[in-house]
Amino acid sequence: MKNDYLWDGSGEPDPELEHFEKSLAQFRYSGSAPNFVAAEAAQGKPSVFAALIFGWSPRFAAATLLILALVAAGLLLRVTPTVTPNGPGWHVARLSGTPQVGHFSLAGDTSKTQLRVGQLLVTDDESRASLNVAEVGEVYVDPGSRVRLMESGSDHERLALELGTIHAAIWAPPGQFVVDTPSASAIDLGCAYTLQVKEDGSGMLHTTLGWVGFHKDGHDSFIPAGAMCMTRRVPGPGTPYFEDASRKLRDAIHAFDFDSPSPEAREQALITILAEARSRDAFTLWHLLFRVNDDERGQVYDRLSSLVKAPAGVTREGTLALNPQMLDAWWNAFDLGDISVWRFWEQKQAAPLLKKNTR
Amino acid sequence: MALSVEARFAQPDYPAMNSAPHADRDDESLVKAAQHGDRAAFGQLYQRYARMVHGILLTRVPGMAAEDLVHDVFVKVLPRMKSLRDTSRFGPWLASIARNRAMDFHRRAKPNSPFDDQIGNIDAAQHSGSSMAMEDAMALLNALRDLPETYREPLVLRFVEGMTGPEIAARTGLTPGSVRVNLHRGMQLLREKWQGHKPRVGNE
Repeated sequence: MKNDYLWDGSGEPDPELEHFEKSLAQFRYSGSAPNFVAAEAAQGKPSVFAALIFGWSPRFAAATLLILALVAAGLLLRVTPTVTPNGPGWHVARLSGTPQVGHFSLAGDTSKTQLRVGQLLVTDDESRASLNVAEVGEVYVDPGSRVRLMESGSDHERLALELGTIHAAIWAPPGQFVVDTPSASAIDLGCAYTLQVKEDGSGMLHTTLGWVGFHKDGHDSFIPAGAMCMTRRVPGPGTPYFEDASRKLRDAIHAFDFDSPSPEAREQALITILAEARSRDAFTLWHLLFRVNDDERGQVYDRLSSLVKAPAGVTREGTLALNPQMLDAWWNAFDLGDISVWRFWEQKQAAPLLKKNTR
Repeated sequence: MALSVEARFAQPDYPAMNSAPHADRDDESLVKAAQHGDRAAFGQLYQRYARMVHGILLTRVPGMAAEDLVHDVFVKVLPRMKSLRDTSRFGPWLASIARNRAMDFHRRAKPNSPFDDQIGNIDAAQHSGSSMAMEDAMALLNALRDLPETYREPLVLRFVEGMTGPEIAARTGLTPGSVRVNLHRGMQLLREKWQGHKPRVGNE
């Protein structure tokens, strides 16, 4: 029996719900649709060119149009590029210089083409380009970059950033847009971010809006707005941190993740991280829970729980045992993004593998 | 020369020529028609989706700004219609553009003018001389705006814009299950927040 007024209006509302509905309805949008037909007519004033053509006698105008059509056809035959975009792809627009898509150079001010699956977009030191799909988002490609379109479909888009820098603003549903780099994959979770890859395959991700998952072989980092994360081919994504964290903390994270010459130096780096962490850096400590050994995890937990109150139902023992539900509850307590979005993405990735394995 | 937004949307006393010819068509065919330059079809899409756009904006920007930005969002969308590959995704795409437009609004906002203050001042100005019922409504709207983002949007679409849960799911592209869960969880949070207030409406 349907009786869920909040959902579909079936049944009866309780008095409070009714009050909410009545009160808030005062803010309802009451504007009407502008007249787009009239607006277009207002915009469609005849151009100077049209005025010249149609101001002449019909016979002369027709002859002029015929000549222009022949000239245009001749020009088109000469300059039609070898790449003829079709099928799914991303729109590429030149912003400066001469970006290359496959063998095709975009040179003119209004140059546009499509980047199709498998094709490579290359920008030299002078070139910039943008990639766009209306329902997915926009990607700006900086000079000195190589970007390949790996997959493009109704619910998944995958680029590979082989080298250089991209700035992505994505509005597709979380998990649908992925950028592979040599050392990690960036999974959009509803956001805008900058991703950089160096010659040696190492990289950096800086989130400006929303949050991003950085993933490689079960090594995950979540980077919320205002935070950044380094990555190397080995071990993959490092520990993310807020860009306004202290210099000491940032250096210590770098040392802990990548550059400790000895176990003692790594241990010292961990001590510095714990000492320098502010409440805001609790999410950094959360990542450390997965990266430290069993002996160190207790120290990380103690510092974390001194900065942020442990969520209801979360225990020290459970956290130290890396209980998935408790760790998820911790993450959600930071209010930086709902981790169920990430879990959903993980399940989606695992589904094809499971199918394969059960055949 | 490009017309200003105001000029584009100047509304002389025309009959409602955007709506009549397309009223019975489904959204996807309207999107396809709009992609081929049918402005009346686009007008019909405006009529169907303006409340969703307004609701999304209202969760993020002050009331008066939200009304203005509705037009702005559709102005942004119109020239980009052809780049929409999957015509069934018009609603989610439009919703994303509305969210991004709200973010732009804050990026361009003057520093030292916190969002909360703007909401209070501008919404109050919009409803100057308001009754106690309006004050209560304002307090309720602000309580709603304090909820986590996941719950804010479906509740505003439900209560402010009067959309049903299934309609919210269909328009925004979210699954009915998640909209339903978020409506109920959000409602629970809103009730808890509202406990602290003493609604005066019922006592008038």
